[in-house]
Amino acid sequence: MAQFKQWALEYVLADDEPVKLQLTKKAAKGKRHSTRLPYDSRASSTVVGNWAASVHQWMTLTHSNDDDQLEDEDERANGDIVSRAKALGFLAGTLEALDKTILRPDQGLTILVQRLIGFFGAMFSYDHKAGITASAKALRQLYSMKNFKPEMGIKVLEDVSKLKEDFRLQTAVTRLELYELFLSLVEDPAVSSELQHKYGSSCGFALDLLQLCSSERDPRNLMIWFKIIRRLLTEFSPSPEVTEEIFKAFSAYFPISLRSSATPIGITAEDLKEAVRNCFSSHQRVAPFAFPFLMQKLDQGDAVTVAVKVDILRTIKACIEEYENPQASVVPYIKKIWGSLKYEVRNGEVKESIDATIEVLRAIARKLDGSKTHKHEVTLLKNYIDLVFGDCKDDLSNPTYTKQAGLLLLTVVTASIKGYVFYNASFIDIIRQNLRQPKSPTHTRDLLLLVNSILKTRIELFKNRKVGHPDDEEQLRSEPRTHLVSLFHDVYLPIWTGKASESDSKESDVLKQVALGLGLLVSQQALDTKGEVSLLCSGAICFEICNLLTVTLVKPLTLSSNDNQSQDATLEDDVVLALRTIIMSYTDGYGHILKPARKEIQKRDWTGPSEYSLEALKILLSRLAFIGCSEIPTQVKSDTEPEHPYSPLRHYDAWLRTLVYLFPLSAQSLTANSYILSSLHASVIWFRDACEARYGTGALAQYSNSDKNWLAEFEQLPGTFFSQAEGQSILPDEVASSFGEDDPETYLQFLRLSLFIVRGFYKGANSEAPWSEQALVQLAQTAALVVRSLDEKLQVSCNLAREAFSLFKTSEDKPCASPLSVAEKFICDTSDLGSSPRASDIKAAVGAIYSNKYPAGPAASEEYQTLKRGLEFWTNYIKNAVRSSDIDSGSFHSFTNVAMHTVAGAVARQEKFVLDLIPILHEAAASPSPNGEIVARSMGILVQPNSEVLNKESHANIKRFYKQWAYNFLVRPLYDLARPGSDKDPKATARYSIMILSVIKNCPFTVYQDDLESLLRLLVTALSNKKDDSVLSEEAAQAQVIAALEILVDILANEPSALKGFLKEIISGTTKVYQESATSNKTLHKTLTTCRKLSLQVLGALPKTFEERYLLSFSRPTQRMLASACGDPVRKVREAARSARANWAKVV
Amino acid sequence: MREVDNANPSILNVSQLPSRSRKVTTPRQGPDSKCDNIVYSKRPWLCGSSSSEDEDLEEEYGEDPVDAQDIYDLISPISDPEHPHTLGQLSVVQLPDIHLTPPPAERRGDKLVTVTVDLTPTVNHCSLATVIGLAVRYRLEQTLPPNYRFDVRMKDGSHAQDDQVNKQLGDKERVAAALENDTLKGMLDKMLETCV
Repeated sequence: MAQFKQWALEYVLADDEPVKLQLTKKAAKGKRHSTRLPYDSRASSTVVGNWAASVHQWMTLTHSNDDDQLEDEDERANGDIVSRAKALGFLAGTLEALDKTILRPDQGLTILVQRLIGFFGAMFSYDHKAGITASAKALRQLYSMKNFKPEMGIKVLEDVSKLKEDFRLQTAVTRLELYELFLSLVEDPAVSSELQHKYGSSCGFALDLLQLCSSERDPRNLMIWFKIIRRLLTEFSPSPEVTEEIFKAFSAYFPISLRSSATPIGITAEDLKEAVRNCFSSHQRVAPFAFPFLMQKLDQGDAVTVAVKVDILRTIKACIEEYENPQASVVPYIKKIWGSLKYEVRNGEVKESIDATIEVLRAIARKLDGSKTHKHEVTLLKNYIDLVFGDCKDDLSNPTYTKQAGLLLLTVVTASIKGYVFYNASFIDIIRQNLRQPKSPTHTRDLLLLVNSILKTRIELFKNRKVGHPDDEEQLRSEPRTHLVSLFHDVYLPIWTGKASESDSKESDVLKQVALGLGLLVSQQALDTKGEVSLLCSGAICFEICNLLTVTLVKPLTLSSNDNQSQDATLEDDVVLALRTIIMSYTDGYGHILKPARKEIQKRDWTGPSEYSLEALKILLSRLAFIGCSEIPTQVKSDTEPEHPYSPLRHYDAWLRTLVYLFPLSAQSLTANSYILSSLHASVIWFRDACEARYGTGALAQYSNSDKNWLAEFEQLPGTFFSQAEGQSILPDEVASSFGEDDPETYLQFLRLSLFIVRGFYKGANSEAPWSEQALVQLAQTAALVVRSLDEKLQVSCNLAREAFSLFKTSEDKPCASPLSVAEKFICDTSDLGSSPRASDIKAAVGAIYSNKYPAGPAASEEYQTLKRGLEFWTNYIKNAVRSSDIDSGSFHSFTNVAMHTVAGAVARQEKFVLDLIPILHEAAASPSPNGEIVARSMGILVQPNSEVLNKESHANIKRFYKQWAYNFLVRPLYDLARPGSDKDPKATARYSIMILSVIKNCPFTVYQDDLESLLRLLVTALSNKKDDSVLSEEAAQAQVIAALEILVDILANEPSALKGFLKEIISGTTKVYQESATSNKTLHKTLTTCRKLSLQVLGALPKTFEERYLLSFSRPTQRMLASACGDPVRKVREAARSARANWAKVV
Repeated sequence: MREVDNANPSILNVSQLPSRSRKVTTPRQGPDSKCDNIVYSKRPWLCGSSSSEDEDLEEEYGEDPVDAQDIYDLISPISDPEHPHTLGQLSVVQLPDIHLTPPPAERRGDKLVTVTVDLTPTVNHCSLATVIGLAVRYRLEQTLPPNYRFDVRMKDGSHAQDDQVNKQLGDKERVAAALENDTLKGMLDKMLETCV
């Protein structure tokens, strides 16, 4: 006893929360020890008694003091209230810290709990100031004890209700405590059944609660209060009168909003709205109050904001969806709801409220139809749809309302399969009647849009037929379909033929709808009586539709440029989309498209095509590739026997055959030929993307162990197979039809097919007509795309490393040569270079990939040695060639290009061996021969971004900090050498300087920022070099100036303060560069223009970075110079000059 | 605030203004054109010494002496002092009313070039015509080289007092004096804020 008293005293005196917590834990422990004694309820009850009595001293004071007296002795009273509250808090805290199972189910303990409840309950009657928070807390703890009996719950509720008016005077936190207590009580099944038993439908306690909580405004409390209300409505059965009272209590908050507060409480306005909505939709017994109330709110007209309107509509929707027994709860209000809502859509302008309204109307239709497990009487739905039909039917003939009326009808008809099956025929019939006498092209378009929407929704309903009630599928089996099938001949075809010749944009809108509609019509599927799925339209109709649309597709090619003036290709684009949709289900269709297209292409003479014809060909090929290859076709039965068995690769195969057949179009028109290879490339991209979308990016991983050699398989085919592939599939039927559309095998076989085609084209390729560079590049890129999509193992088993160098051509040495030796032979061959920059570029690209490719394996490995030999060959070649006077600068340029790119591939992966090569390159660049200058200028290639060749997609090996690495070894050692001095060869220093600048130009600022001081000195020298006494060629000097200016621009953007000490030199340098490059020189025009533009850019950036005092002395001459630069002959330079001039104008 | 002289001027859309860039054709935007820039690339092979930007630079760096469109581009973005629109949008500045002598094709070296700009106020009693004229003149002086001379006038008959306004705008001393006036200078700066 004494111990408890001591703790209680300490608790009351303590201010720190942790200390208090500690004390309650101690007390709880003390209690636990004593109550653990078995069967000694008396002993434990004594302990509990002691514990309760420990706070007696503060309690007695309270009881002896009357409220009035307390008011007189304010100070003392406040002290009392505080300590009393703390004392009670001690009790509550102990209970909280106590193990919930300690008070075991035991008669004595039950009485104890009862007493405690009585004690704390009494506080609500007597001690409104100090006792409520602690008592509420204590009661919640007691409720969670095992000895808590349901009847005690009732007592608690009754006790708390005695607070009455004083409830709202409590702090929000105290109220929260109580709300949580109420919620736990009403959610407790035992307590709630006890409450039911005691109060029945009169729900007296509920009325007390309503009274108690009627003016709650705290959002956190409201959230719980709404939960309690929902519980009252769902779990108890209040009489209509009580229900009305409850309804009044929560509907008073509707529509609810939340004032934004500086201290976020974690509850949003949306949460509150949702909570109130849950009250509305809690039970159908609220329906008689809810619907009239909500409708009345909605019908207030303009007084309702959009947000509130949407809230009301969503609440109505929630009610409709949640109420059970729609016959009684929803049906009586439908007329009223429809009466209000139809104008929201018919005359509404705000999209949000229209959407929300549509949702409500759809919800009604779905509710009346029934659920997955239970279907309602069909008349309910019929009556509803009839109601909507009656009101909207006539609006369809009025162009102003066609869209809206159609939307309303579409919503209710297509909300359920049942509604659709019963009403779509009459719906379409009305539209058809209106289409016979359209009021305007827009009217026709809107009506067609409606038919299309019905078709689109039908596809959705059909797809989801298995999700709902089994009746739904049954309904679809027996649906009437003739009106759908006849849409083509009755609706679409007459409109199309009537308008196809007109070019008005409104008519073209109609035609677009027809095209899209035809696409949707062919995609329709139907269930026969056995439940099998097939195409709705017959093969004959599908064929007719394909032909009709193909005419439009091919038309631009058949017309001459004078006849086809139309700039608007959107109709053709829609036709393309429609055709793609069509052939996805009607797989024979692609053949019907390709045949006339191919004929039309061949009919034309391609020896000297006009630009118009070429463009038309390009577009046609691109569209055909898109139609056939951008999606994987689906397998659907048709009434006619398909020409070929289904295969997911069927369209792709057919398209490839067409391309092989068409190539070459003519020996003269290289562009036309290259378009065929471009569309081959495009179709590989399309189909690969389709596969990735369908099967996922990792779909090929499961075939990673395949060790097939496809190329060897291809060798087995007869030599003429490729060129005579016309008429037969490239993939044998038994292979093609061995996998379904969902099988990732499709992806693999697609690559196999592509590889075959690429190989076939390569075998016939050469550098003469009908081939052109453009065609070869496209073929190369297609091959690269196909090969890199293959798994590494498959690449090896197909021996692609060797094929890459022999271009798939069978040669005599093929059987013995290993890929490595073939590669080495190719790389180290200089005979095919000559001075052609093209050949050099191509070899350079191959070299870069080659030296980037092999993984850095053990130094002794054959791969590594080969790589090393390749790199050594080229650096030594350059070293020797630079001295030779036999090689002209053009050829030397080509060699350097290849050499630098080859080394660059190794630099990108930080190949250590490169470090041995760098001194050789430095030496070559410093060589006195004029070719050394070329080496110096090309040094930048080593770190040049080369994403076309080395990129992630092609599995390039690029280290993150390779530029930093290269800079360290390539540039750092040169700074000292590049500094001019009397003891140095001016030529060599100039070369070093070029080398540094050409590398840095390609590096980001962070790479060289530590050496800014030395670098800036070099830059200033480069800018101020006198033109005449330069040891460099003019071209090199200009290139150096450009590099210097580019680096300056980069520095200005990153660390302009570094330039402070060099301002005079930079201003005079850039001015000099501008003036010197302002001469007209045809051959160097581009370089000079770049110089002028960059120098103005640097000059113009200075006033933005430096204060006036640094620049003032240069202001006048610079402004004069800039003023005359505003008259520069090149527009871009003028722009730079104007901007610089405006910046300098502020320096006065 | 003073009542505006023309409360309801007709305004041109930005896309309706004459510009040089319109001459470029836009690429086709069909559903099938996703890979067009890969498979019909102008520069199919982007590796190596022959710089890839050559063709673009060629177009951009071609010689193009200052012409009427250039002048139009300089002065049409000036804001109107009354309306939140530019002089181009309000058709105060019109391309056919800008003349250069000698015309661009006949120009040689640093010879004098005279730029004549005829302005059309939105109403013929516009009280701010002088300010607008001054802004145009000021902008041209700021952005063209010293061998250019300017003649900014009201178009014949477009303003009730065009003679007076033209006289003011033609008088160098008065123009210089006007630019010394802080209030007027502040107004001009505000009008020129929209010029880039």
